[in-house]
Amino acid sequence: MLLVPCPNCGPRNSADLRYGGESHARPDPATATPQQWRGYLYLRDNPAGWLRETWYCRSGCRRWFTLERNTATNEFRTPPMPGDKRGGKA
Amino acid sequence: MTMSRLGPQPTEVLDRSTKLRFRWNGKRFDGFEGDTIASALAAAGEHVFSRSMKYHRPRGILTADYWDPNLMVQVGDDPNVRAGNRLLEAGMDVRAQNVWPSLHRDIKAANSLFGRFLTAGFYYKTFMRPAWLWPTYERVLATFAPGGKIDLDTPHRYHDKRYTHPDVVVAGAGPAGIEAALAAAAAGARVLLVEHEHAVGGHLRYSSSDSDQAVLAELRAALDASEVEVLTNSTVTGRYEDNWLGIVQRNHPIAVERLIKARAKVLVAAPGLIERPYVFSGNDRPGVITSGAARRLINLWGVKPGERAVVFTANSEGDAAAADLDRVGVEIAAIIDGREGKRVSSAQGSSRALGAVVAGGNRIEADLLVVAAGWTAPTSLLNMAGDRPVHDPATARFFPSDPPGNVLATGGLAGDGTLDELRAHGAATGRLAAQRAAAVAHRLQAMTARARPVDGDEPAWAPDERTPLGRDPHPELYRSDTHGMVDFSEDVGSKDLVAAAHEGYDSVELAKRYTTSTMGPSQGKLETVNTVAAIAEARGETIAQVGTTVWRPPYAPLTLGALAGRVFEPVRVSSIHPWHEANGVSTIIAGQWMRPDHYGDPAAEVRNVRTNVGLIDVTPLGKLDLRGPDIPKLLNLLYTNKWSKLPVGKVRYGMMCAEDGVVLDDGVTGRLGEDHYLMTTTSSGAGGVWEWVENWLQTERPDWKVHVTPVTTAYVSINVAGPKARELVGRVTEGVDLSPDAFPYMEVRLATVAGVDGCFMWRIGFTGELSFEIHAPSGHGLHVWEALMDAGQDLGVGPFGLEGQRIMRLEKGHFIVGQDTDGLTLGPSTGLSPLIKLDKDDFAGMPELAWAADRSLPMIVAIQPDDPNVVPDEASQIVRGNTNEILGRITSARMSPTLGRSICLGQVEPELAAGGTKVTVLLTSGERVSATVMDHHAHFDPAGERLRG
Amino acid sequence: MAESPAFESPVVRSYESSSGGPLMLTDASATTKWLVRAETGGAAADRMDAPFGSSRTAGGGAFVMGSRPGEWIVTGPADAVAEVVAGLDGVDSSEFVTALDWTHGRALFLVTGTDAPRMLEKVCSLDWSDAMTPNGAVASASVAKVTCDIARYDGDSAPTYMIFCDRSFGQYLFDALIDAGDEFGLAVGLPNG
Repeated sequence: MLLVPCPNCGPRNSADLRYGGESHARPDPATATPQQWRGYLYLRDNPAGWLRETWYCRSGCRRWFTLERNTATNEFRTPPMPGDKRGGKA
Repeated sequence: MTMSRLGPQPTEVLDRSTKLRFRWNGKRFDGFEGDTIASALAAAGEHVFSRSMKYHRPRGILTADYWDPNLMVQVGDDPNVRAGNRLLEAGMDVRAQNVWPSLHRDIKAANSLFGRFLTAGFYYKTFMRPAWLWPTYERVLATFAPGGKIDLDTPHRYHDKRYTHPDVVVAGAGPAGIEAALAAAAAGARVLLVEHEHAVGGHLRYSSSDSDQAVLAELRAALDASEVEVLTNSTVTGRYEDNWLGIVQRNHPIAVERLIKARAKVLVAAPGLIERPYVFSGNDRPGVITSGAARRLINLWGVKPGERAVVFTANSEGDAAAADLDRVGVEIAAIIDGREGKRVSSAQGSSRALGAVVAGGNRIEADLLVVAAGWTAPTSLLNMAGDRPVHDPATARFFPSDPPGNVLATGGLAGDGTLDELRAHGAATGRLAAQRAAAVAHRLQAMTARARPVDGDEPAWAPDERTPLGRDPHPELYRSDTHGMVDFSEDVGSKDLVAAAHEGYDSVELAKRYTTSTMGPSQGKLETVNTVAAIAEARGETIAQVGTTVWRPPYAPLTLGALAGRVFEPVRVSSIHPWHEANGVSTIIAGQWMRPDHYGDPAAEVRNVRTNVGLIDVTPLGKLDLRGPDIPKLLNLLYTNKWSKLPVGKVRYGMMCAEDGVVLDDGVTGRLGEDHYLMTTTSSGAGGVWEWVENWLQTERPDWKVHVTPVTTAYVSINVAGPKARELVGRVTEGVDLSPDAFPYMEVRLATVAGVDGCFMWRIGFTGELSFEIHAPSGHGLHVWEALMDAGQDLGVGPFGLEGQRIMRLEKGHFIVGQDTDGLTLGPSTGLSPLIKLDKDDFAGMPELAWAADRSLPMIVAIQPDDPNVVPDEASQIVRGNTNEILGRITSARMSPTLGRSICLGQVEPELAAGGTKVTVLLTSGERVSATVMDHHAHFDPAGERLRG
Repeated sequence: MAESPAFESPVVRSYESSSGGPLMLTDASATTKWLVRAETGGAAADRMDAPFGSSRTAGGGAFVMGSRPGEWIVTGPADAVAEVVAGLDGVDSSEFVTALDWTHGRALFLVTGTDAPRMLEKVCSLDWSDAMTPNGAVASASVAKVTCDIARYDGDSAPTYMIFCDRSFGQYLFDALIDAGDEFGLAVGLPNG
């Protein structure tokens, strides 16, 4: 069982979290074409390699966050995120 | 061949003062405390223990340990017990499995006569035609299936799970493993040592050498004095990501079997080596045993394995076995030395006993053949960690190649050497494990919010500077010049593997699946290498070129009970539940909630609500407390309608759609104060909607000032419904004017109910009757319910349950999300297009709802079968006339006590959605009935006059 | 204010209870509990003085737990809790701070004894060692498949754990804890709170 590095709680069993899938920006609903909107809803890059994805720490801090995981090796790294508002130890 | 009991042996584990009486196939036998079932039977002279799976050949002891494939027996109601490992207990009723009428006169042995029809893969070629005979074939084949008997009335026993977080887990307590555990503990690590057998010591336990015994005593004493946690008769059975380990503990004092889930920082694999059988004609005859079996029988259990033995040896353990045999008076008829290129060709005799061994052209009479042909490295845990071990022909076994840094091999798995060298390697491995575990522990502690702050910097990852163990050359001995058994569990011989290769199944993965070799209870322990060797031979390649199959968990079997552990099935109840139970409730489990379905007569409950007044406990209704100045923005985002101007004290209905425009949930939201709202959701959607809201606020709108807190269970929710509802509620409520002008429909008030402050109530109407939904702090929920029941006696108050509520809401045509809508139902299909305000800035699903507005969509409609007594099953299809073209389905259906006829909601294609349209419903009985689409969703009181009074 | 009737605990079954023992489970569901939410790093967060994962005691026996980033559970005697919550008034008014009475919505159980970590190992996958879950630690995890907030607060006694769960699971969780503790001689204490 994978250990997922929750940026707030620390490493937790993957069963404590919910996987949110590939992360991708929500298009502007006012200007998106149907193709763009459905790409947002349904299409995924699915690379063999580094993937930016979201996780929800449902049994823990209940925060959504983004991580990068290598889908071939299951290594994790934290993407640099501007204005990242994470809790943590003072 | 007859085995027999010897006099006391210095290394035996028996307590000869305690005799244990038991039964074997109905006959009485005696053994000693410390015997396994197999050793006790062997000492009493039994030599046939089972019949093989396909051919029902008589089988005897082969390895005399846990992995012995011939020793699966039934003990009482416990099937597939491994008699080579299970300790004898007084009163055991032990029986052979899959034999009829008896072990010795097994009629199914006739299978051997049909051997040529039962070769590998026979079931792909036989029993295929004619197809109508398949049920018969199944029944016949089932009686020949191996395995014991299951008693469906076996009492459920205590099974258990446990989590643990050791620094170092050592799998295997031979000398190297024990040294590793001791060294790691001495370096400050928390160590768990897991040993497969009943006692630690590995091969030292059955060595008759005095110096080995001295070392064993020293190691045991050191272990006792240490802080190492030792589990015996337990196996590390799986290694998963990040060293998540499954450990099956078979000897827990109160649990039959316990599954331990351990997150180890470092795993030390010290499983030793498993002795490999040699493949030759007659190698599965009772009387052919491995060198380890001979030494265990003699030195652990004081059993003389035979009277006159041939020893085929290619290594020092085989030599030691010969010495042990000689010491206890077994006549050594011949020693065949595999290191000199000699080998045995066949084991001959009667069907049940060995009579002679043929080697080098000579026929030697013997009742015992001891074989030491080599070792298999159980690299499973390393394989599970991603390592692909490499075959070394010089030593005739596999070695680890490059496991991850948190998995270390020691002992026989890593190489050969003197006992001192193995111990030294073990100790060095333990120290390395402890150092690396400290680095992992430091990082985990530093990253974990609740942990103690760390001291200093993270220790560097210690490099592996252990002196490698040597490798003793060993002849490659897999198959003799004859063919024999490879997989004893599955009755797969080397001939079968060669045939499979010639039939085209020549990759090891295909050959395994086609022949089933390594797929039986042995799971490859004794037969993987010989299987690969046979394929390699057939292909003219090396073992390294052929490769092995993948070793997957579990390494040792565990019961379903251990996997299940305690049955954790959370159940949720409201505070009012004790009242329901005391008043004849019929409970339904919805999600995890126990809810009142009805109290005996749902139709009567409906009539009482529409005539007098009823109470329903709807506590599971999702309730979200909203606080903050930006709530209107949030509501506008989540719901399809507009929320900017909801006055304090008002309640509004809203529908939520997901980003694909599909209906997600619905409910009412009321404004309790300036910056304080309460949102309700469906009961089953409560958890999901909260996570949906949190996702929006955290990821897309983190700057909004809104706090959303689930308060579903902080309040009990009681819906008081019926023409006399106002009267009843008035009797227990303080601080609120309940008159129709002061408190109109779709408004909310704070109140004190039955003396309980902090309640709020609103006027809504799922049932279509005048109703007040009271939400009271759940710590006083039962009190409020009982107060209402007491106060309403003269008004005819009675409880009603979910079934009654469903009937009434259906009478009013209120759709239920998830019942009348599905994963494809877009917002406009509900008929609520007026509530989808496309002129808002942005809300969830808006683009899809905008694009859907111009399309013709399937619609939710009310339907009444023309025959008022026909109540279609929910999900009955709506079809075109007499064809099977599907045009919709019935989503909800009930008999209405109020109208005295059947009523439905359904989804239909747009061409059928107009009121008055006739449709055909295909009942589940196959009959087709006619029905009519209604003008409104409500079958009863479409104007809603009763509600708004 | 009208006189309120007695608090109904979610634990409705009765058990043979004991006043002391090496491993005790006590139902404290009636204890006052408030949920405070504010921005991390703001003035209100400073006032709460319990970063995520840690806790502190306040005057009068109140206990402040940093249960999530930006969320705190305040529990203890009603007056002491009220004082902590009231202390947030007048903190920077541009900050968005809310406080909600969660007394009724959460069950609270106390487990205390030297064997408490070993008992909890049977129902929860957290690392209970002193380094990873020291005195004062606060975490959220699944206990017997119910998500709970957990705080370790030993006081003067053996390791003591406060387990908060959604009220509706209370009876189920109480029984699951009794089952887990049976092996260690668990006794049920008299209800308090």
